[in-house]
Amino acid sequence: MSGVQSNVNPVWKIPIARPEAGSLATPIKFVIWLASKQPGVLFASVTLGIITFTAQAVMPFAIGRAIDSGLENGVSRGVLTWAGVMLAAGLIQVAASAIGHRFDVLSWLRAALTTSRLIGETVNSTGDAIREELPTGEVVSSVTSDAHRLGDLYFQAARFMGSVATYVVVGIIMLNASLKLGLIVALGLPAVALILTFLIKPLQKRQEYQREVTGRLTSLGSDTVTGLRILRGIGGESVFTERYKEQSRKVRDAGVDVAKVQSTMDGLQVFLPGLFVALVLWIGAMEAANGTITPGQLVTFYGYASFLTWPMQNLIQMVQIATRAKVGVKRILKVLGVENNTPDTGSITSIPADAVLVDTVSSTVLRPGVMTALVAADPDASAAIATRMTRFDDSAESDTPVTFGGVTLKDFDKDTLRHSLVLSEATPHIFAGTLRNGLATRPGTDDDAILRALEISDAHDVLESLPEGLDSDLPEKGRSLSGGQRQRVSLARALLTSADYLVLIEPTSAVDAHTEARIGRELGGYRKGKATLIVTASPLVLEHMDTIQVLGHNGKILGTGTHSGLMSDDGELGATYRQIVGRDLTKEPETASVGADTASHTKGVDLA
Amino acid sequence: MTTEAQAKESNAPVVDPNLLPIADGKSVRTYSLGLVKDNRSALIKVVVMHAFAAIAGLAGPVIIGRLVDAVTAQSATTTYVNLSVAILVAAIACQSLITRFARRLSMVFGENVFAQLRENFLDTAVGLPLSVVERSGTGDLVSRTTHDINRVQHTVRFGVPQILVSAATVIITLIASFLTSPLVALAVVAGLPLLYFVGRWYLPRAPKAYIEESAAYAQIYADVTESVEGSRTIESLSLTAARRELVENGIDRAMAAERRTLNLRTVLIPGMDLSFAIAPILVLLWGAFMVSQGHASVGAVTTVLLYTTMLVGPIWDLVFWLDESQVAATSMARIIGVGQVETDRVARDVEPEHETISGSGIEYAYREGHNVLHGIDIELTPGERLAVVGPSGAGKSTLGRMLAGIHPPTGGSVTVGNVPLIDLPLEDLRGHVALVTQEHHVFVGTLAQNLLLASPDATEADLRRALGAVGALEWADKLPEGVHTEVGSGGHTLTPAQAQQIALARLVLLDPHTLILDEATSLLDPRAARDLEKSLNAVLSGRTVVAIAHRLHTAHDADRVAVVTAGQISEIGPHDELVANGGDYADLWHSWQQK
Repeated sequence: MSGVQSNVNPVWKIPIARPEAGSLATPIKFVIWLASKQPGVLFASVTLGIITFTAQAVMPFAIGRAIDSGLENGVSRGVLTWAGVMLAAGLIQVAASAIGHRFDVLSWLRAALTTSRLIGETVNSTGDAIREELPTGEVVSSVTSDAHRLGDLYFQAARFMGSVATYVVVGIIMLNASLKLGLIVALGLPAVALILTFLIKPLQKRQEYQREVTGRLTSLGSDTVTGLRILRGIGGESVFTERYKEQSRKVRDAGVDVAKVQSTMDGLQVFLPGLFVALVLWIGAMEAANGTITPGQLVTFYGYASFLTWPMQNLIQMVQIATRAKVGVKRILKVLGVENNTPDTGSITSIPADAVLVDTVSSTVLRPGVMTALVAADPDASAAIATRMTRFDDSAESDTPVTFGGVTLKDFDKDTLRHSLVLSEATPHIFAGTLRNGLATRPGTDDDAILRALEISDAHDVLESLPEGLDSDLPEKGRSLSGGQRQRVSLARALLTSADYLVLIEPTSAVDAHTEARIGRELGGYRKGKATLIVTASPLVLEHMDTIQVLGHNGKILGTGTHSGLMSDDGELGATYRQIVGRDLTKEPETASVGADTASHTKGVDLA
Repeated sequence: MTTEAQAKESNAPVVDPNLLPIADGKSVRTYSLGLVKDNRSALIKVVVMHAFAAIAGLAGPVIIGRLVDAVTAQSATTTYVNLSVAILVAAIACQSLITRFARRLSMVFGENVFAQLRENFLDTAVGLPLSVVERSGTGDLVSRTTHDINRVQHTVRFGVPQILVSAATVIITLIASFLTSPLVALAVVAGLPLLYFVGRWYLPRAPKAYIEESAAYAQIYADVTESVEGSRTIESLSLTAARRELVENGIDRAMAAERRTLNLRTVLIPGMDLSFAIAPILVLLWGAFMVSQGHASVGAVTTVLLYTTMLVGPIWDLVFWLDESQVAATSMARIIGVGQVETDRVARDVEPEHETISGSGIEYAYREGHNVLHGIDIELTPGERLAVVGPSGAGKSTLGRMLAGIHPPTGGSVTVGNVPLIDLPLEDLRGHVALVTQEHHVFVGTLAQNLLLASPDATEADLRRALGAVGALEWADKLPEGVHTEVGSGGHTLTPAQAQQIALARLVLLDPHTLILDEATSLLDPRAARDLEKSLNAVLSGRTVVAIAHRLHTAHDADRVAVVTAGQISEIGPHDELVANGGDYADLWHSWQQK
């Protein structure tokens, strides 16, 4: 047992441990692995559980002996002795149960939180894969519910073992006093427990259904209030409250169905052990009437028969807990089995200062010191190129290799690569937390740098709107910000990485023209000497680029140039470019339907 | 207001106007009692049945006490034993049956009360004033709908019935002890003072600790959820280490909170156990003394002794549930608080004279003293298309909300046909003017249901026309089951751009005479956005449209353009006129157009 001496006791720290693949193979192996991380705690918990229950088992025996030792004569020496025994057993039980509870909880915590930590680690280090392979809800419930159910297994272990121990002790005591009674105890209770376990399955099935409909009700409720602004704006509330009420009734009915089985089980939990007690009492009373046993022993037997219903209930609980834990561990293992799409197998840890990033299929190129734009008629095509140029899925990208200083991306050490090469997408996630923490993702970023980046991305209005400046908390997904503000904050965040190679997809699609023009003007100076690739179709940004690569319909770079050069180019390259970025609205496009073919747009573009 | 009155005011709970209220203890009690009163007859039935079950459960100790007396007096015949055991079996059968029905009744009771509670809550939440919903954001309300409702659920479902059962059992067992032998029973209550003091120490300390504990877990859940949702951003910005630290902090916090509650229980558990351990010893010694004095029989002492041990379970249950219900009460306060939001408008029985919306001297401040709008005058000409442009934070969206009647302005007025918008009943208001923002939400349900909420009586042809008007018909028809495909959380996922089209299609179905579109096409790519606006304009011809936009083609296509800068309209007029005037707008237009 790992000692309990000081405040910084290591048992209160959750270990940073990663199980080997073998321990993740089956639920049992994982359960054993977790147990191996806390043998001392488990041992203490189980030992104290056994002591608690055994001390409790002394009570009926002592009461019986006290009655036999001449209760009718008042407070005799015998009564005092047995009262003393009761007191001693009571004190032992009080102490053991209090300390035992601490170890039970510790055992629960270590199992549940070690698992939670592992899940957190998996979620935080597997990138996209976690979302691709599992629904968000399933991953979250592995932390909110499955890890706790697994913990219950360790918590219950002490009571279960204590119950088994007392059951054996009491059985032996009863067998010694009377063979018949002993046999009844030894066989009767397991039979009762067995009958009751038959009800566990239907009960859990109904509970499972109840959880399901309740979960659906919760998501309906949250769906309704999340969209409340829309409902309040245009009506339809009654449809939604009706829908909620309908589901609410389903939940109620499911609860009533559970109540039917649960109450039957409760009734049987009174009836079956009760019958067992009555049987013991009947045989005991007969023997007492014959004088085979004393009145005190009769009370003892009665006491034991009633007392043993506790271990029995613990046994039934253990079955329930183990069933749930098994289901939970299976789900946990599914989450823990997820692997990153870009495994950290590469070994190259240095990137030459003049390394050029090349997408070999499209011939898109990004050079140090150059503000580069990628322009395409189909925004998805250019976004896809930008994404693969920053390595997000090794196996999917094996046919479309991207080289960096002549080396394929997957051969780089991940940390090295991600440090130098950063992608910021059109709608990146903004995490809950202070604005400062949200922006400064790299160590050593000071407030001056943050303010400068906010200035460049024209996001000072965000700072001004927050009561506590950089220390203000942003809610999850930056919900309190407008779409344009969110975009500018994430641009500032990307700029603050100071990555040597920065790829930005549509960084200004949701900001107004004034702001976009300012951002376009400032970016070049801020990123001076570094490589920046921007996917955009906005002339306000494009006019400040050193070089613009125009993607053709065949997915290959058609040609490159500067904004003014391309605007005045007479060839196919210039025509394509103007078709994409042109904004002269004096001539109307002839068709107005969404997704109209590009030919009709061409007519509307002023080629001058 | 006098200073005295102000001082009184400040005693009232501090209410941040931007947050939803939280009810005080008194309101929680009043509300809970109201729920109990509404279900009084069911409750009485539950209590009475449990009392009977408890009484039947008392037979065992009585019978064994009598048997002990009979055996001691050597008067126990086989018939006497058989009869006693038969009575015991009958009592057990009764107890089991009554328990079964009483449990079922109390669980059904809990289900009904809880269903009533959550349905009332949702009714209230859905009826919240527009301005409150807009201002307080949805996060708080969502957490009340999910987290708080779920936290109360456990207590209402199981706690309320269990408290009743345990209280009934304790009281009846105590009464029975006194009936068996009043003098011996005195010793039963000897353990109570310790129990009382331990309880008094523990119960006030516990809720805070448990609330912190559940907050710590909620933090872990929120962080993990965010990590999953933002997994791509974590990968691209190498946030793994920072996110890991968050999880670690969460786990440390949970551990610290668990230690705190565990320490509280380390006082509670031995305290209670000790009083339970002492009671039977006292009964034994005191009983022995009483027996020697001829005041009680050995059997009576045995019976009381066994009763004492029977109290352990129910008292533990009582303490456990008192504890839980304290924690649930804090969630209850947040649930009931939603009902305490004051309405921001009182509808009058008025009829607008015409369809012109006009604002004069509009001022608005989200925080007192910080005006976002500084006296804006504007009149919308029926049927015109007005574009509102200007830098971020200039107050464009706020102006849009004023014109849609979402918030009552803090100064000036917005009227339709000379009637202030906020004097109109909500149903009428929506018929006049509606707002669509860039915030979009696809509801769980079919695509058709998502549209029907704007106009429940619309036919399928209407739906298709509306989808066509926003350019969504093509992709809608390609969905697995067309407009009857399940969408929203858990269903088919729509892109943000598609969600925006749905929001606009709803507006087409609602068909008010004035529409406010606040960046309503910002998530579509520029070309698609412009096409959509054009086809929308065709459908909405004759309607007044105010379009707040950052893309200047919207302004170019509009009848008039209003430039909002720093809470004021700095320029207003037709596009060509503004460009010719050579002001801010002209500069902007030229830079946007690259001329």
